[in-house]
Amino acid sequence: MSTGRRPRSGLPRPRLPALRGFYWLMLGLLYLPIVLLFVFSFNSNTTLSFPLRGFTTDWYEKLFATPALLGSIRNSLTVAVGSSVAATVLGTMLAILLSRFNFRGRNLVAGLAILPLLVPYVVLAVALLVLFTVLGVDRSLLTVGVAHSIVALPYATLIVLARLIGSEPQLEDAAMDLGATYPGTLRLVVVPMAMPAIVSAWITAFTVSFDEFALALFLAGRDQTFPVYLIGQLRFAQSLPILISAAVLLMTGTLTLIVIADRIRRR
Amino acid sequence: MTVGAGSNPGAPTGLGVRPSRAPDPRRLTFLALALPAVAALALLIVVPLLFMVALSFRPDLRGELLSPFVPTLKHYEQVAETFSYWRLLGISAGMAAIVAFVATAAAFPLAYFLAFRAGRRAGLYLILLLVPFWTSYLLRVMAWKLMLGTEGVINSGLSSLGLIDEPLDALLYNRNAVVVTLIYVWIPFATLPILAVLGRIDIRLHDAAADLYSSPWQQFRRVTLPLAVPGLAAAFLMVFIPTVGEYVTPLLVGGTGGSMFGNIIQDFFVRAANWPLGAALSVIMLATTLVLVVVGLRIVKPRRLLGI
Amino acid sequence: MRSRPETLLRAAVVMCVMALIAACAAPGSSTSPTGGPATAGPATPGPTTAPATETPPDQVTGELLVLDWTGYDAADFWIDFKNKYANATATFEFGGSDADIYGKMKAGSQADVFHPYTGWLQFYVDEGMVEEIDTTKLKNWDKVPDSFKALGQFNGKQYFIPWDWGFSSILYRTDHIATVDSWSVLLDPKYKGHLSMWDDGPGAVTVSSYIHDYDETSITDAQLAAIKAEWTAQAPLNKTYWAAETDLIPLVQSDEVWAAYAWQGAYATLLGQGVPVAYANPKEGRNSWVGVYGIRKGTPNLDLALRFLDEKLADATSTNLPALYYYGSANSDVMGAITDASLKAAFGIDDPSILKTTNFTPNLTAEQRDAWTAMWTEVKAAQ
Repeated sequence: MSTGRRPRSGLPRPRLPALRGFYWLMLGLLYLPIVLLFVFSFNSNTTLSFPLRGFTTDWYEKLFATPALLGSIRNSLTVAVGSSVAATVLGTMLAILLSRFNFRGRNLVAGLAILPLLVPYVVLAVALLVLFTVLGVDRSLLTVGVAHSIVALPYATLIVLARLIGSEPQLEDAAMDLGATYPGTLRLVVVPMAMPAIVSAWITAFTVSFDEFALALFLAGRDQTFPVYLIGQLRFAQSLPILISAAVLLMTGTLTLIVIADRIRRR
Repeated sequence: MTVGAGSNPGAPTGLGVRPSRAPDPRRLTFLALALPAVAALALLIVVPLLFMVALSFRPDLRGELLSPFVPTLKHYEQVAETFSYWRLLGISAGMAAIVAFVATAAAFPLAYFLAFRAGRRAGLYLILLLVPFWTSYLLRVMAWKLMLGTEGVINSGLSSLGLIDEPLDALLYNRNAVVVTLIYVWIPFATLPILAVLGRIDIRLHDAAADLYSSPWQQFRRVTLPLAVPGLAAAFLMVFIPTVGEYVTPLLVGGTGGSMFGNIIQDFFVRAANWPLGAALSVIMLATTLVLVVVGLRIVKPRRLLGI
Repeated sequence: MRSRPETLLRAAVVMCVMALIAACAAPGSSTSPTGGPATAGPATPGPTTAPATETPPDQVTGELLVLDWTGYDAADFWIDFKNKYANATATFEFGGSDADIYGKMKAGSQADVFHPYTGWLQFYVDEGMVEEIDTTKLKNWDKVPDSFKALGQFNGKQYFIPWDWGFSSILYRTDHIATVDSWSVLLDPKYKGHLSMWDDGPGAVTVSSYIHDYDETSITDAQLAAIKAEWTAQAPLNKTYWAAETDLIPLVQSDEVWAAYAWQGAYATLLGQGVPVAYANPKEGRNSWVGVYGIRKGTPNLDLALRFLDEKLADATSTNLPALYYYGSANSDVMGAITDASLKAAFGIDDPSILKTTNFTPNLTAEQRDAWTAMWTEVKAAQ
């Protein structure tokens, strides 16, 4: 398809509305359940079912009177930020290694990098639990973070690698010719070139961690992350609306921040 | 030592830079890049994997977990004798292939939109696509069930419009529901590696292509698509591999008949306390997935398509 | 010359394997995951602690780790301990099933106290994972009926203290099914698409053995094969299996499920929501289960653990069990004082004949556990 700058006469212009429409359709489908949750967070009934009973803000009031819940959200944010930064840094390093260096054992390293995708979480959880016990590491948010870093690593590696692989080396050669050291070239040319992918990788790693519960259930010990807390509370129907209100509030807060950030950036 | 700093990964090893006596900065960079990641992977994936393999030869869970034991093949024999496990492994791999293919195919236009049509708002649009995943999957699926159940919004709506007499039963609790839900969940993530390659494509390439080729379709096929191949391959793998072992989605929307192989493994670990059998099934699944990926890459050869 | 990274990788792998071997070679060392010898036996010395009654409550300090079912960290479930010992705390980690809790204890959980249910107790005693309990330290022990106490006794010793209990039976919607008098309704093709079985192998074996009058404690291979065939045929009749009560409740409420294997908690919840449901008294008898607490062998917090268990049986905590969560309590004073009509119905308090025909869950052996759970997994895999 052309960029639209040099349309050829007589040929059909690419149908932009279809692309844009598909994006908004997907977005609509993704937000539809969240809109429903938003509605139910103000419903006075404790079960998630129609018809709606009545309007209430009780759940939000109760939410702020539940320190364990707020603490678990803080724990999840800590783990997600820490593990996503670790996974993104390691993943970027692996991607540079695999795309810019030619060495024996390259396929082995590539295989190792995607290995975490292959191991079921429950198996990894059990094995890491035993490993941490043997090493004498007490379970905490740190052990969950370590596990999340390793499962997010393949996503980060693949996303950055997709950008680096096969990209044109002229800029790097030019930098080297101009006297940049090799690490300097990586820092000044390769990393900036990969930056959009690195940001995508970081968001993905954050997302992988933030809603993960299989590993956290085994490795969190006495510190609960939000998904672990949520699964615990879901056992009894009474607390469902408070959980929904927490999720809705988190989502609304995130979206508000994003929109504000966008406004500031565009100013 | 055959470390090369060339950007062409397919180059023969002989072209690599030979180390001199003085420490080669490229070699140091190489080590600095390789050591942390490889060490982390070795400790946190290879060791657990070895533990899993060892566990699969353990007779049962009695005694201490790290105590010596007489290895047995009985779990592999039990799996070999149970046809339904193999059938389910085949079904799961098939489902994963469908999910990965459709999700990648659907993600491509999204990535294309974000890369070439979204302009300065591309970043915002991308984040909007991913933020829903910060809301608990369990809660989002609960909301979906409210829409799709036999007494749900869609069925009530259709029947009140007189379009259906009996509620549609097929929307939930079967394998199709699992496949559809998984595709829905994966599309935004599959967009990322594709976007990563498309974002790299120089806009001047498009202009050049417009001069060279007669139709937009040809430009797309000859220029954009080949350049997108590594991203498409990464997206496919990123979806396919974990989906073979998926267990949460089948548990939530699969119902009685929608289990996948990952559910069986999960069951032996957390509902049966039969970890050795679960470990044997994991080893089999891992080996099968690896073989499928390697064979798949041999057949498709994404790098050859790239011409490198 | 071999490339450096490969050598390093190999070295790393070798080192890790060596670490594993070293750990294997030293069973029973201080790092061993179960924290105690794997042999069970009557030779185990009884607990030796300071008397739990003499220290003033506000001088009791420490942090107790409890491995419990998801949701049981709610303060309602340990309010007496919380109120009495202001300077001690309890924190929780979770299991999602009996198998999960057993597995986590095996994998080296440092939990001081854990919460299994009848059926899943024998292994802990056999493998020496549970501490004998000195019941003279429990002030609330006399409130527990002897029949409950007996469930926690093995080889003449008290290893577990009973805490919560309830029924399993058939929950059904009275607007679709007039009456249910047998467990076999769960296998009735007439209700295809409107049934829901609990996702549990031993549970399925139990139901089949009630229907066919098998001896649940000695199921033969032929019987197990018949049970497998029975549930394989039953699988397509379900709307879905359920794993947690929160899965089941909305399905019954939205009229999608008409008859289901269920605990009394789901029944009481739905009754409270005004849903037309009943809880069957099948001719084969209901099933009953009892939840117990055990103390991990070798815990450094034995004294605090005993105090915790004692307060678990105290009146306020025990009252919360039926009042807030529709679970029975092992504290008979509390159960005798129940006045709420739907609770009385759920626990069959006014109908002593129910308890007379009720079947209590027997303990599984390790072989039964592995055979029955594998049977169930094969049923699910064949769909």
